[in-house]
Amino acid sequence: MILPTTSVGSFPKPEYLTKARAQAARGQMSREELAALEERATRESIAMQEEVGIDVLVDGEMYRGDMVAYFAESIEGMEEGGLVRSYGNRYYRKPIVTGALRRPGPLTVERFRFAQSLTSKPIKAILTGPYTMMDWSFNEHYATRADLTLAFAELIHGEVADLEKAGAKYIQIDEPAISTRPEEIDLAVEAMGIVTKGIKAKTLTHICYGRFEQIYPKMLEIPVDHIDLEMSNSGFDMLELMKKHPFTKEIGLGVVDSHSHVIESPDLVAERIRAALCVIPVEKVYVDPDCGLKTRSWEETRGKLEAIVQGARIVRQELGVKV
Amino acid sequence: MTLFTAAAGNYPKVGEAPEQQGLRRAIQKFQDGKITAAELDAVANEVTSAVIRDQEAAGLDIVTDGLIRWEDGQTYIARKLDGFEIGGLIRYFDTNTYYRQPIVSGAVRWRAPITVDDYRFAASKATKPVKAVLTGPYTLASLSEDRTGRGRRTLVADLASALAEEAHALDEAGAPYIQIDEPAWGRDPGPASLLVEALGTVFGGVKKAKRAVQISFGPAGDSLAALAGAPVDIVGLDLVEGRADLARLGAFHGAKCALALGIFDARGTRLEDADDVLAVVRGVLDSAGPRDLYLTTNCGLEFLPRDRAERKLAHLVAVARRAKEVLA
Repeated sequence: MILPTTSVGSFPKPEYLTKARAQAARGQMSREELAALEERATRESIAMQEEVGIDVLVDGEMYRGDMVAYFAESIEGMEEGGLVRSYGNRYYRKPIVTGALRRPGPLTVERFRFAQSLTSKPIKAILTGPYTMMDWSFNEHYATRADLTLAFAELIHGEVADLEKAGAKYIQIDEPAISTRPEEIDLAVEAMGIVTKGIKAKTLTHICYGRFEQIYPKMLEIPVDHIDLEMSNSGFDMLELMKKHPFTKEIGLGVVDSHSHVIESPDLVAERIRAALCVIPVEKVYVDPDCGLKTRSWEETRGKLEAIVQGARIVRQELGVKV
Repeated sequence: MTLFTAAAGNYPKVGEAPEQQGLRRAIQKFQDGKITAAELDAVANEVTSAVIRDQEAAGLDIVTDGLIRWEDGQTYIARKLDGFEIGGLIRYFDTNTYYRQPIVSGAVRWRAPITVDDYRFAASKATKPVKAVLTGPYTLASLSEDRTGRGRRTLVADLASALAEEAHALDEAGAPYIQIDEPAWGRDPGPASLLVEALGTVFGGVKKAKRAVQISFGPAGDSLAALAGAPVDIVGLDLVEGRADLARLGAFHGAKCALALGIFDARGTRLEDADDVLAVVRGVLDSAGPRDLYLTTNCGLEFLPRDRAERKLAHLVAVARRAKEVLA
C-alpha cells in the first residue's frame, strides 16, 4: 500500500452526544448512559471510515472534550481549572498541576481495545504530548517548565508502553504547542525521547498552528517515526523548506483544511499530493486532513475524507499502482 | 516613599458561579440577535461594577475597570481609530489566546473618545482611584499588519499622535492615572529613542494625570536608562518574565519617576514566596534609591481563571502589607 489515508484524531460529535454530554455535566444523565452513547458514536465513526475507505482509522474521540483537560481528569496531581478566555467569547478550562504527577492506571487502553475490536484495520491510538500538557496547564508544583514537561514525559511513556502491549501499531503523541516557543524545542525533543524510548510500534506526532519555518529542520530531531503536519492551511510553503533540508521521516500530509466548510475536490487533493511527492519519497507519505475535524459538520467530515481517499487513488493510479 | 498596590489592567470577564457568567451569555445573545447593543452594554456595566468591587474588596489602592468591554488589547482601540480594518485570528505572543489582527490600510487618526465613557462609568462606581489603560503605540504597531508601507517608525509616531488625543481626553475627564501598555516592547524591543519619543507624544497634552508606562512579556533591558529619563511619572516593569531587569535598576538612580514592580505572575496560578518579594522590594530601593513603589502583577489578570485572579490579588495585598511593616 502506498499513500495510506488516515485522520489526525477528532471527528464532530453527533447531536445526540453533544446533548447527552451537557445533560451529564448537569447531573441529569448517568455515567453509564453517557458511555453507551459514546460507544454508539464510536461505532458510527469507525463504520463511516470503513465505508469511505480510510486505511488507518481513528476512534473519533467521542468521549473527549479538550485534549488536555481529558487527560488531566484522570492524572493524579492535576485539578480541573476554571474558565480562561481563548479569544472573543470562547473559553476553555485550563488544568492546574498541584502535586506530583502519577498515572493511576492505563488512561486510554480500554478505549483503544474497544475501537480496535470493531475493525480489522489498524486503529491509531492518540495521546497529548508532554510539552503540550505542560504548556496548556498551570504549574503550582514543579520548579520549572522543564521539570514538569519531563514528569509528563515519564507518565506518557507508561501509557504508550501499555498501548503497545494492547496491540496498537500506530501511536500518535500530539504536540500542537511545540511551534509556539521555538526556543524550547530542545525540551520538547528531550521529552519525546523519553515518551518513545524502546517503543517498537510506529510513533507519530502531530504539530499545528503554523510557524513551522521557525522549528524546521530542527523538528526532524523529534524522536518519532512520523510527523503529521498541517500543510494545506499554510499553502504548502513548507515544501520550499523541504527542498533545502530534506524531510527525513514519514509525513502525515495534511491535504484538506480542517477549519473550512468548503470540501476540497479529489483533483485538488491529488495536486497537493503530487506537489509533496516532488520533495518527499512516496513510500514515506500518508495522506490526511490538516488537523482534527471536530469543528466540522458530520457531512463535511465525510466529504473531506472521501476527497482524500479519491485524491490518493488518482495519484496511485498515475504511479501505476493497483488500487 | 510610599508603597501602593495597583491593578495592572484587565480582569477575568467570567467566573465559575452562574451569576459570574452574565457577560458570556449576553455576548452570545447579542451575536444571535436576541438582545440589543444597549442591553449588552448594561450587562458590561454590571460586570464592570462587580470586578471593581472585587478589586476593592481585595484591598487594592488603585483599580481599573477590568477592561471588561475589550475583546483584546488591540482591536478595542483599532476599531475606533481611522485607518484600520480588522483581520483574522492570530496568536497573542506565546500565550494560548488569540486576537483579530488589526490591519493598517490608511491614515491613522483619532475620531472620538474611545475609553472616556468607560473611565467615567468606572470612576462613578469606585471608591478608589481608577487607572485608565491604553495599549501603546509601539505594541499596536507591532501587532498590526501594515499594508501602507509607511514603516514602523512612522506608524508608531502616527499612533502616538492618535493616542495623544485619547490621553488628553482622559486627562480632561479627570483620570488620575493613565497607563500606556507596551507588552511588545518586552518581547521585541526597538531603539529606545522610538519608545521615549512616542511616550512624549502620547502624554504631550496630559496636565494632571500621573503618566505611566507598563512594559510586559519580557525585560525593558537596554532601554531602562532611556525609560528613567522618559517624560512619565511611573515606569512599570515585568519582573517575572523580565527578572533580569532587577540587576540593572541602578539606571533609575537620581531619576524622579516611581516604579511599578510587576513581581506577581499573572500568567501562573502559583502564589509568590513573600520573602522573595520582600527581597526584591529591598533590592529595588537599594539600587534605584528611595521612591514611590507600586506593587502589581506583571500583566493583566485575564490569563487566570476568576477565582485564581482573586486569590492572586489577595496574596499581593497581604504581601504588600508585610512589606510596608518591614520597610517602616
